[in-house]
Amino acid sequence: MSAPQTVDRVLLVAAVVLILVAGALLLARIWRGPSMLDRAIGLDVCAALIIAGLGAKSAFARDPFYFPIMLVLAILGFTGSVGIARFIAVRDRPPGRPHGERARHSGEERP
Amino acid sequence: MSVWLQILDTAGAALVLLGATICLLGVVGMLRLPDVLSRSHAATKPQALGMLIVLAGVALRLRSGMDLATLALIGFFQLMTGPVAGHLVARSAYRTGQVDHSGLLFDDLDEQLTEET
Repeated sequence: MSAPQTVDRVLLVAAVVLILVAGALLLARIWRGPSMLDRAIGLDVCAALIIAGLGAKSAFARDPFYFPIMLVLAILGFTGSVGIARFIAVRDRPPGRPHGERARHSGEERP
Repeated sequence: MSVWLQILDTAGAALVLLGATICLLGVVGMLRLPDVLSRSHAATKPQALGMLIVLAGVALRLRSGMDLATLALIGFFQLMTGPVAGHLVARSAYRTGQVDHSGLLFDDLDEQLTEET
């Protein structure tokens, strides 16, 4: 293996490691996230990170085997967060927020 | 393998690393920002920019026509579906009162919602 190919491998492994670290931090966000909407955004970013990780793996191995999986994730990755934002988050409020006069704008009477 | 192909390979690997760095920075922003709207602002960086740069890097390393078409489709659908989810999440955040109104200079949606009731 020549020296430039070694450089390529080092760069791609570093990319995969960075994406894994990002995924771990994102799991912390989904775990903590005070409202369901934060978790919905986290799920979106999780799909994007899976696509990026599969892309790095494909670039490492030079095979397009995982491209259909990336395509399906790009098409369907947003449905989960749309469902959460549409049907779950209107019932779930983070505790300890002052509502007061803003309460008449709440989603219960106008979902 | 000629020199130019090797340069393309290394440039592709560097682009993949750059995209991964942008993904990590976006997730760090999601961890540190205080609000739902600002977190969704940080969340669009891995979704659009980071992933497109990673896909460009993969396209520079796999240089055949069918793979390039699939990668273009992946980027297209990601750009199509990202704004839909972002819009719905922000709308739901506004209507459940999770938006910090003191940070807004203009709030046209507030007037319209009050007008209806």
